[in-house]
Amino acid sequence: MSPFSKQTTEPDKVRVRLYRFDPAVDRTPRYEAYEVPHTPRMRIMDVLNYVHENMAVDFGYRWLCSAKKCGTCAVNVNGSPKLACWEEAELEMTIEPLSGMQVIRDLVTSRDAFEALLATLSPTLVRKAEYRGFPEPLTAIQLAPTAHLRDCIQCLACQSVCPVLKQPDSGFAGPALLVALSELAQDPRDGGDRARLAGEVAQVFKCVSCYECERVCPVDIPIVGEAIEPLKRLVYQAGVVPGARHARAFLDVVKARGYLNAAVLALKTKGLTLNALRLALRLVPRGKIDLGKAFLKRGAPGAKVISKTYESSEEVK
Amino acid sequence: MVDVIETDVLVIGGGAAGTNAVLKAADRGAKVTMVVKGLIGKSGCSIFASHLPYHDVSTKEKDLDRLRYSVRYYNHYLTDQEYCIRMGAYMRNEFFGDLERLGVYWRRDAQGRLMAITSRVPAIVAHKQGASGPIIMDKRRREIFRRGIPVYEECAVTSLLTDGERVVGATVLDYRRGKFFAIAAKSTILATGHSDYLATRATGTREQSADGIAMALRVGAELANLEIQWWHASDVLEPKAWMRFHLYPNPLMGTQETSRLYNSQGEMFYEQKTHSSGSSAPYTEQIRRLSREVLAGKARWDGGYYSGYDHIPPEITKAHQHQAKVWSKLGLDVGKDRIECGITWHMRQGGINVDTERMETKLPGLYVAGGLGCHYLGGVGPVSYDGKVAGEAAADAAVAGGRKPLSEQAVAAEEGRVFGFLRASGDGVRPIQAKLRIREIMWELGYVKNEQKFNAALDALQAVRRELVPQLSLQSTSRSWNTGWMDALDVCSMLDACEATVRSGMNRKESRGPFYRDDYPYVDNENWMCRNIVSRVNGEWRSRTQPIPTPYLTPEKSREPFFEADY
Repeated sequence: MSPFSKQTTEPDKVRVRLYRFDPAVDRTPRYEAYEVPHTPRMRIMDVLNYVHENMAVDFGYRWLCSAKKCGTCAVNVNGSPKLACWEEAELEMTIEPLSGMQVIRDLVTSRDAFEALLATLSPTLVRKAEYRGFPEPLTAIQLAPTAHLRDCIQCLACQSVCPVLKQPDSGFAGPALLVALSELAQDPRDGGDRARLAGEVAQVFKCVSCYECERVCPVDIPIVGEAIEPLKRLVYQAGVVPGARHARAFLDVVKARGYLNAAVLALKTKGLTLNALRLALRLVPRGKIDLGKAFLKRGAPGAKVISKTYESSEEVK
Repeated sequence: MVDVIETDVLVIGGGAAGTNAVLKAADRGAKVTMVVKGLIGKSGCSIFASHLPYHDVSTKEKDLDRLRYSVRYYNHYLTDQEYCIRMGAYMRNEFFGDLERLGVYWRRDAQGRLMAITSRVPAIVAHKQGASGPIIMDKRRREIFRRGIPVYEECAVTSLLTDGERVVGATVLDYRRGKFFAIAAKSTILATGHSDYLATRATGTREQSADGIAMALRVGAELANLEIQWWHASDVLEPKAWMRFHLYPNPLMGTQETSRLYNSQGEMFYEQKTHSSGSSAPYTEQIRRLSREVLAGKARWDGGYYSGYDHIPPEITKAHQHQAKVWSKLGLDVGKDRIECGITWHMRQGGINVDTERMETKLPGLYVAGGLGCHYLGGVGPVSYDGKVAGEAAADAAVAGGRKPLSEQAVAAEEGRVFGFLRASGDGVRPIQAKLRIREIMWELGYVKNEQKFNAALDALQAVRRELVPQLSLQSTSRSWNTGWMDALDVCSMLDACEATVRSGMNRKESRGPFYRDDYPYVDNENWMCRNIVSRVNGEWRSRTQPIPTPYLTPEKSREPFFEADY
């Protein structure tokens, strides 16, 4: 042991259960168990490499840089997405492909759906004005709001845990795509139709702000606060899609009454439809909505203070 | 016959050279098809770009100063000096603007001034130091997709096809689906980059198995200066997965300070400003100094020496994400601790013999761009220049010329070779074992070389070819992402490229730059400032040399002891 490195007691082995699945041949996945000698500072990828070099020589796994830059080695370890190149090996590991992705073979998943959706979001800078040559006028301050978003390596860990994406046909683009879109939308040079793309194509208002994406992000991007919220504001200001109408109605109702009235909120968001009436008829007997309160427009005690708070916060902005 | 895709220009490789070749060829109106063994902009080494040289070339004196660092310290007088002049003008006048147009943010301060690393070699960064590569390559990737250029990712080119004279296309294995096809092209650009994965400790990744060099060799291309192989001296020893994490010996942004190297007794033996003030990327000097420590028993090639920033205020180092993050991830304190290092096989100066005017090889229809050429060491900027030159020349030739039919026989023979490896059995030699053995042979050849070690390496490589390759077998015959099958194909490339490298090294009877042999421990500019060329024609190895013109810079001495030269 050198005088400069930390003294630690090394464990002697890692037990790993590896997900094996070849869609061309297998009906269901199976798990194979291996014991791998532990080496100093071992990463998950060192375990995978050892298995490939000594045991399952043909098993499928993907990595391209091993240095947290390419974002292609993310796998589920004991149920949670991890970058194999970056995270330390645990002594007992079940390693599986990222969830919610089509499996090509073993740990390799298809990135095609992500790439195809990215292509629909006009994923390059759409310049407001013609480019006039290097270096163009631009400051660090102008690009500060997107500094963290530029760290994204598109490892898709966030996509794999997003509960909205787990809903069939959610129509939601997912956190990684919103990070890419938000970086462009907040770029002072960009003149693309980002509000429409965020609202209609990416359906940003389907985000439920559960922060699962941020929890698993290996590069610590504040995805909700710095990517998704700014996009929601952009769509809200444009005010064209159901999601944004809902947000606007929410604000108007609370501002006017000092409390959230579900009936009025629904009416303002969706309009008066047969379905809405049916729903209302079911909700009244359960006490979920109070028709009297809804149409008397009576404010809560202190409603005026709440209204003023909203106004002054808008002025600050 | 298998499916054949027809195109004007075929670009093989998805790094900085390949992506720029694609964009520039498409700008010229050619129909372009791209094949990438990994993923565009994610595989290969361009994603590792840290800081990009940003020189003032406005006056002849300033340009010559830049040239001195390129020619002397990066290429040890083996580059093409006229090429360096043209490439320098491109870097200053086009490279940064082309990328900024796509949206790359070259880092500014609050007032909007470019933040430069102000060392002997001024440099700027995209986003932040250590993170330029992913930003640059992501923008190129998206631009290629935006334009709708046909791209085959995760597809390995297995051979170049010729009609006896011209290169007329290539065969491809889509290893995701196990589908084999051919591409008929009027012009073919090889941009497969460096082959950094050829020794046990190496900075490269699994796909960097020298396919480009091997395929060119098999169709008769010449290879030059393959032995001028760089090693990194300051890469992380453990974990193994991080052996490509490099503790930059060049200055951190906002300071003149660099990391230092210490031997096992804590004595500092290398820092850039003290030991190679002439160059900002002093890799050859670093390893030369390490070799003295190894000979004195105060370090090993694989550990026993350390690198650190404990002489620099930690907040400066912490401002540079990758360095500080490595420390914190290893449970070390960047301002106090040092990291144990080992050497790694890195990029090489040599490669396919190419005429830099149009990036053409001696084989009609075959162009080269980037790190696998013999003309320059590499770097995202220079290889982008290669991509532009090759892309434009290949497109112009393709638009003017006709397409030659592919030989059905040759395609079928190659299909037979590729699928011949897809055989399973309970025993036999697993391809990864042959791969590891080849990397071990090159590691043992190592930094200190001589006739005896070259002979031993050659014998060992031939033993792999003779004894292991015929016995290669897999655990399964899956055609979908069968890592063993991919490894078997890599073994063939690695064997050819390594054998050529050893033969080329044997021929060079001197030491130079990163190339050291203790039986010829001097730089011999009179006889060896040349392209040292090997090729294989009908199974016979040939060699010759080709002089390198020195219109601007020549070394002071015609011959000097290796350890006294500073380049």
